[in-house]
Amino acid sequence: MAQALAEPAGTPATRAPRARGRRPRLTKRRKQEARLFYLFISPWIIGFVVFLFGPMIASIYFSLTDWDSFTAPAFVGVANYIRLLTNDPIFWKSLGNTFYYAAVSVPLSMGIGLWLANLLNKRVRFRKLFRTVIYLPILVPIVATALIFKMVLAPTTGPLNRFLAVFGITGPAWLLDPNSVKPAIILLSVWGAGGATVLLLAAMKGIPTEFYEAAEIDGAGPIRQFWSITFPQVTPIIFFNLIMGLIGSFQVFAQVYILTQGGPNNASQMMVPLLFQEAFSFYHMGYASAISWMLFVAILMLTLIAFKTARKWVFYENEVAH
Amino acid sequence: MSTLSTGTTLNTGTTLNAAAVLKASDGHQARALRAFRATPFTYATLIVVSSILFVPFILLVSIALSSDATVNQNAFTIIPQEFHFENFVRVFTTDLPMGRFLVNSVIIATFSAVGQVLSSSLVGYAFARMRAPGKNVVFMIVLATMMIPAQITMIPQFILFKELGWVNTFLPLIIPNFFSNAFNIFLIRQFVSRLSGEIDEAGMIDGLGFFGIFRRITLPMMFPVLVAIGIFTLTASWGDFMGPLIYISDESKMPLALGVQYITSTGQALQAPPWNLVMVGSILLTLPMIAIYYLGQKYLYEMNITGGSAGVK
Repeated sequence: MAQALAEPAGTPATRAPRARGRRPRLTKRRKQEARLFYLFISPWIIGFVVFLFGPMIASIYFSLTDWDSFTAPAFVGVANYIRLLTNDPIFWKSLGNTFYYAAVSVPLSMGIGLWLANLLNKRVRFRKLFRTVIYLPILVPIVATALIFKMVLAPTTGPLNRFLAVFGITGPAWLLDPNSVKPAIILLSVWGAGGATVLLLAAMKGIPTEFYEAAEIDGAGPIRQFWSITFPQVTPIIFFNLIMGLIGSFQVFAQVYILTQGGPNNASQMMVPLLFQEAFSFYHMGYASAISWMLFVAILMLTLIAFKTARKWVFYENEVAH
Repeated sequence: MSTLSTGTTLNTGTTLNAAAVLKASDGHQARALRAFRATPFTYATLIVVSSILFVPFILLVSIALSSDATVNQNAFTIIPQEFHFENFVRVFTTDLPMGRFLVNSVIIATFSAVGQVLSSSLVGYAFARMRAPGKNVVFMIVLATMMIPAQITMIPQFILFKELGWVNTFLPLIIPNFFSNAFNIFLIRQFVSRLSGEIDEAGMIDGLGFFGIFRRITLPMMFPVLVAIGIFTLTASWGDFMGPLIYISDESKMPLALGVQYITSTGQALQAPPWNLVMVGSILLTLPMIAIYYLGQKYLYEMNITGGSAGVK
């Protein structure tokens, strides 16, 4: 029993050879433990069946129907998917907008976060104060952020355009202009770049000082040291943030819903706001379900691509050690 | 191990580990190295960037303290010049149901956090300490569910809750939290796996069953990770916009995150929304999050879960 408790992950190596070939018979005690295990995890099992697996199956079925949620659903096969892919310019536009948003806001936030973390990793006074101010935007709920940015980005009275006016620049109408609405929403996300900074800073603190001492003796300057030591050492954190950022940015909703409702002229329409609109404004439940599966495929593909490229640039210490 | 679990393993592990390192090596001295030398340029950059990031906060306070006339004429300034602190009282006394919104938010967030802590601790403990056939397969499924975006289940869940007659109640926002969540299960499993099993053993010799050990021994030891999960759930529930937007249509049942936005959208037909009061609402929405983070950061850093033992073995 002591052995078993010390190795909670189960299947200790010593038992393996005997188990080969036929299933080991469970003792009465082990049977009881197994029953108890499934009792303990029953909240998850129930939740999985009722709130995830069941709904997923239902969602696949709904996506093959034409359904307004009030009358009986009419089975239409893959017609929803065909219409999405071949005959819905707004879907393609929102897919493109979502890609644009993710492709700009995620690397930009990451770059700024990394740059700030590297500055804070130096021997600066008031580091805690700077760190707090940089992190503070992360703590603001997205609804409040969106409402604040509605004022920040106001065409004539907003501080951004007033600031630009100091330099004689007439700022764009931001949320009201199809050309500047996406940069405006990206700006809002970049305000939260400090989220990455705190994690990156923590990782930078863990890099052994000896690396830098050696680099110093070899005559490497601060920039060379950053790219040869700091950056490779924090790539796992960058990678983690990149994946999370990509998934999160594909699910962007509240800022679009509150600030633009997808407008003007669908210039800021994105996947989830479109899905929400189809489902809860137009009651196109079948069509909206099909959009949700397209969203899943898009996220899955991006994640897989990120993992494929990870081998080339993400540095794991334990890979070098062996 | 699949690609999926490898990634989750290494990365989640590294991140949490990093938080621990922050705590451990905050005060290093031997860094007079060039890479760590702060130049005037370093300070200039940090000051400029921090100031820019802080401007929205100043604007938020400035508008919140402006009079109705000032906001109606869009005459507010970035630096506060008038101080109508009575706006903070007005949101609770005038026809705005801000107090109601606030109470609703507290109810929803508290019950959600309690549900998540109770259910995830039980499930996470079982995955860390108990043996059963099929356990590793089930754990793989737990991890795989993290890949499914919530939007997939959004519509069927809405139909389900509509059939149950739960639309326009708090239940759709609270009840799912009583069935645990994959990420929290993962966190607790990692945390408990690192705790010594010797005390459990002593408990078992003294005749405690698994539930007794869980309740009397492991649960108290899990405190830091439970606080962390509580904070994650509180902040997620408090800030959630889409959930209430789907399920709550009755103004008196709206949580603050939806209510504040609702005020800006209803005013349009008759008059401009009362932006000063909306900003007061935004402050009320934000301050508890800052307070919770400030009070809880100690526990967030305490959960030093290392990357080494993470993931499916």
